[in-house]
Amino acid sequence: MESWRLIQETERLKTTWEGLSVDDTLPLAIERFGSPPILHLYKFVPSAIVGRYQDIFAALKIERCKVLNIEINRRSTGGGTVIMGPEVLALGFGINVDHPRINSGSVEAIFRSVSRALIEGLRTFGIAAYFRPKNDIEVKGKKIAGLSAAMEGKKALLFHTSLLVSFDMGILTEIMNTPLIKLQDKGYSCFSERLTTVSTESGRRVEVEEVMDAILKGFEKTFSVGLYHSSLSEEERSIASKLEKERYKNPEWIFSHRHPRARMGIGRIKATGGLLEIYLSLLGAVIENIYITGDFFTTTEDLNKLESSLKYVRCEENKVRDAIISVWKPNLIYGITPEDLTKAIIIAKENQLRL
Amino acid sequence: MANIFGYEMPDDLYYNEEHSWAKVEGSKVRVGMTDFFQREAGDIVFVDLPDEGDEVTQGEVCGKIQSRKWIGKLVSPVSGEVAELNEDLEDDPTLINQDPYGKGWILVIEASDLDSELKNLMQGEAVKAFIEREIKKAEEEKAKAK
Repeated sequence: MESWRLIQETERLKTTWEGLSVDDTLPLAIERFGSPPILHLYKFVPSAIVGRYQDIFAALKIERCKVLNIEINRRSTGGGTVIMGPEVLALGFGINVDHPRINSGSVEAIFRSVSRALIEGLRTFGIAAYFRPKNDIEVKGKKIAGLSAAMEGKKALLFHTSLLVSFDMGILTEIMNTPLIKLQDKGYSCFSERLTTVSTESGRRVEVEEVMDAILKGFEKTFSVGLYHSSLSEEERSIASKLEKERYKNPEWIFSHRHPRARMGIGRIKATGGLLEIYLSLLGAVIENIYITGDFFTTTEDLNKLESSLKYVRCEENKVRDAIISVWKPNLIYGITPEDLTKAIIIAKENQLRL
Repeated sequence: MANIFGYEMPDDLYYNEEHSWAKVEGSKVRVGMTDFFQREAGDIVFVDLPDEGDEVTQGEVCGKIQSRKWIGKLVSPVSGEVAELNEDLEDDPTLINQDPYGKGWILVIEASDLDSELKNLMQGEAVKAFIEREIKKAEEEKAKAK
């Protein structure tokens, strides 16, 4: 049976510069030294970590993070802000893109194949999770984990996942800038209604270490491999130290200005089914995040499906309409049509403000 | 303009296996990403490019491209010095999706060894065979995922 490396760190919480520099070393160990795939499981100190090309000033209330002693940093993979801490499982995974056990047919196929291992692990807790395109793992319509990735060198891939084991949702609206900041109550419920945790779904308090064990077994079963405990070699450790200094302790990296413009806007219309409100974050030309709210009837699962279909789509009328129609079914939102939604989104875009 | 299995792959361009294209313009080479890439990747969020004057090497990563939460690579099809960058991509990188061979061009390289390096790139029938392989690979992977 093929063997993959496992770096499992449970002895203490990792600082952002420690954890992220080890993660970045994984694909480099594969690319430069021909290492087998490496899974890194650990926990961070309380921290807020933005995506590689995210505007950190637009994403986070930096002063508030300092007051609350929440570390801030920037990871090397894509996507938005993740809030990490003792109750969130941090996962880094390095693998060659051409590895036969990865479905490399498309970006989505690669995300799906890594998701399968996480979904398998969650089954241990009786949780029926599934992949929600484009990058999330959901349980009954609520997000439990998100995946992001980056290619390093020619063929190596790094994946990042944060899996919510238990979580204080209140912290999100306290330190993140979102289109919902002006509506604290609604902002909180919008987040909490769309997120869930392993503890919530399994109906008992679950420890992160239990989840680590389940996830590593999920990897073994899904990819038909054995994982053996490992640590960074001397050569790998020197790469991690260099990355720690050049990236994760370097203000130029953390506060980088290489990112698309971040904007947000709100769109409201009165439709037959009631008031429809759209809270939109734009990253350059595409939708980064969207919250659909209002006094209409629908399910969280359907709302999440709609919102996910619109993420990372160019915010232009036809593309928005196409994305909505791709997941639409009759009465998905009672009394609201795809046209109403498209119109409200375009109004939100027109009302955009720079963050 | 050649249409290969539904993908536009213009005949006058050279291609590498990392889905970038090269258009020879005298001693310079204009570079972008193919129709196949842009459809596969989805709408582009950001393009992180080298600076003008930077040296790039054939087959090496010279930039990063984000779509969804995925950061992919731009591999230089030829070696040389970066002569020009498409500044319009700063405001709207989805030009790569909308017009991959036109307004979505990414950079121009003053090539240093064009004649010998063009031999390492694909053109004509080789492109067709390459796309066929890529489609087959994607289909096999999709079947595996089910």
